[in-house]
Amino acid sequence: MADIKGVLVDITRCVNCESCVVACRLYNGLEEGKNGAKETQAEKDKLVSNRWTVVQKVKVEKNGNAVRRYVKQQCLHCLEPACASACFSKALQKTPEGPVVYNEKLCVGCRYCFIACPFEIPTYEWDKSFPRVQKCQMCLARVADNQMPACASVCPTSAITFGKREDLLKEAKSRIAANPALYVDHIYGEKEAGGTSWLYLSDVPFEQLGFNTKVTHRPIPDYTWQVLKWTPYIFVGWGALLTGMYMYTKRRAEVHAEEEMYAPVDKEE
Amino acid sequence: MQDSKSGLNEKKTMDRRSFFKKMIAGAGLVGMAGSLAGCLQQSPEQAGGQGWLPYQYNVAGNLPAQVRGRVPIDADNPSIVRDDQKCILCGQCLEVCENIESVYGYYSLPVIDETICVNCGQCSMACPSGAISERDDTKKVFEVLEDPDKFVLVQTAPATRVALGEEFGLPVGTWVEGKQVAALRRLGFDAVLDTNFSADLTIMEEATELVKRITGEVKKPLPQFTSCSPGWVKFCEYFYPELIPNLSTCKSPQQMFGALAKTYYAKKRGIDPNKIVSVSIMPCTAKKFEAQRPEMNDSAKYWKTDNMRDVDIVLTTRELARMLKAKNIDLPSLPDENYDSIMGEDTGAAIIFGATGGVMEAAVRTAYYLITGNEPPELFLNLTPVRGLAGVKEAAAEIPGVGTVRVAVCHGMANGRKVLDAVRDGKAPWHFVEFMNCPGGCIAGGGQPRTAVPPSDAVREQRIAAIYRADAAAAKRKSHQNEEVAALYREFLEHPMSELAEELLHTDYQSRADKLNRLLSRVG
Repeated sequence: MADIKGVLVDITRCVNCESCVVACRLYNGLEEGKNGAKETQAEKDKLVSNRWTVVQKVKVEKNGNAVRRYVKQQCLHCLEPACASACFSKALQKTPEGPVVYNEKLCVGCRYCFIACPFEIPTYEWDKSFPRVQKCQMCLARVADNQMPACASVCPTSAITFGKREDLLKEAKSRIAANPALYVDHIYGEKEAGGTSWLYLSDVPFEQLGFNTKVTHRPIPDYTWQVLKWTPYIFVGWGALLTGMYMYTKRRAEVHAEEEMYAPVDKEE
Repeated sequence: MQDSKSGLNEKKTMDRRSFFKKMIAGAGLVGMAGSLAGCLQQSPEQAGGQGWLPYQYNVAGNLPAQVRGRVPIDADNPSIVRDDQKCILCGQCLEVCENIESVYGYYSLPVIDETICVNCGQCSMACPSGAISERDDTKKVFEVLEDPDKFVLVQTAPATRVALGEEFGLPVGTWVEGKQVAALRRLGFDAVLDTNFSADLTIMEEATELVKRITGEVKKPLPQFTSCSPGWVKFCEYFYPELIPNLSTCKSPQQMFGALAKTYYAKKRGIDPNKIVSVSIMPCTAKKFEAQRPEMNDSAKYWKTDNMRDVDIVLTTRELARMLKAKNIDLPSLPDENYDSIMGEDTGAAIIFGATGGVMEAAVRTAYYLITGNEPPELFLNLTPVRGLAGVKEAAAEIPGVGTVRVAVCHGMANGRKVLDAVRDGKAPWHFVEFMNCPGGCIAGGGQPRTAVPPSDAVREQRIAAIYRADAAAAKRKSHQNEEVAALYREFLEHPMSELAEELLHTDYQSRADKLNRLLSRVG
């Protein structure tokens, strides 16, 4: 856990060049959609199966002035991912380095991960005969090699910083401390959903930028664990109960049969 | 009988033991075939184990080894567009935007509410994969050309005629003025006119303004800045709004032409101004932005209507070449033709607008005449100190009556900053400064053919040489000699900076300081 890698996105530094979006597509070999040029801005701002990261353009008010902010969106790589806990075929897993990765060989296509994810990240290849779930893999091979993810490697304004999550948290806190007039005192991802590998800094409140700030601070798999931890007891207990009932009814039937056999014949017949 | 019967029965029924044997044998066969075909081969990585990596993410993908990112370009940028599928993140656009134009990186983050861009299109010239290009407006022009109701006139900038030929395999700097006129006629334009006409007009207005500033008749600060490069004008509005009073109020030649096309030209030719579609062929992507500036509708104010723009559609040299190729017009094989009259005459002074230092030289020639009433001496026709590709050029000229007039010329906004900082600090000795957004001037504008990528000084020099050759060969080399401009003043505007001239040919500027937090001094 101490070695877990993360990425810090400083929204105040983003200029909307979308280098990260292109880098992601190039590195992961994602194909541009058929009608890429005809897409509207709203469509381009949406995560789809061949676009694992987008830069959303958000118009917000700051100190009474209209400002534009650019929000890079991708999988946040939760420390305790709900998607992985919901995946019964182990197609989604948290790696020790930090990335939450998907193995298409194990996926059965149930899309429980869609329902589990509090950030609505996973996407599906709806137009394919054998569709896969698709989402940011945090450039696993690079991260395992202690290299930056592709998107971070290309950011010209250093809005995306890669490092150990612990160090990034310190860095984020020092940035807030150094410029409290600029930043809101909130590191998104520090506590959300039990903590995420990706962290965000912003100068406008996160809920105005479309972040889910109502998400629980408890790891989501905790909730299911509260129920699921009883599984062995229920399994054994229920078995024992049913066995007992079976023994009881069987014995009763035997007793009943014996009684009938030896009962006196009705004389009135 | 009994035996055979029992034999038949034996074949029909299968006992459990033989069924089991056959099933095992069958499964073995399937397994053997499967292993041979490779279907059941175990993949080397162990799914779910320690250090598990899905195989597809171990591939490096197509990300180049050297990536630097790119400049931000808004989807609604009127001048340039980018094709994300072609971008290789090489960072050449950053290089030119930051180091040549000093735009990217000269404002502090966070941004405010727009992407800072002066629309110059130099990034499109540096982009090695052709991902960045001009916003294509050729379709709009094809549509209006097919509309018989419209009178489509076209103006061509000074610099396109030394570069258009390169798109058709002609040597760099080939003079194709006559062929360009012929090609535009073949495309179906109703009138082929010349921006050089309004370049001469610009000189008349701008030189008059300069003289009035020097004599104190106009209470505006010196040095006066040229205002014909729309990229530079927007740069000034962004980064040096306190120097806006120094900017000449003259519109650029394109916009002067546009305002006159729907007023003077329409009246003189007896055409309904509402039916005129004004197209311009420019070496410049920023002209697309300039034509869309809300205040550039003085013809509408003149006729007191709405829905009238001075210039309707701006095409770059590259777009014109595309149109010609789409219509199978082979430029090199066309005959040389002349511009239509009126608003088609030019002088050598207008031609050199296309090169860095040209506006200055043209203005000085006419300023001399306006001040002294005499034709300038030969020296003024070869003002070599302001020619060439040095970043900042200075010259001083003795003009009887006012003494020494000091001028400066700079091109590329990183060079412009040196001059601007000196002016802001009150250390500027100059009376008149020419600014060109693009290095080399309009001949190397963001809409010119991509003959060398990134643009090379060799190409710039050859195009500039062609410009000055044409000036030297011109019969008239001073803007005040332009007969059509003189007629315009006689019949319509009365005199330079008259009330009507102020209304149609002059403009004002807006500070864009609230759009960015500029970095006044930048380290590095």
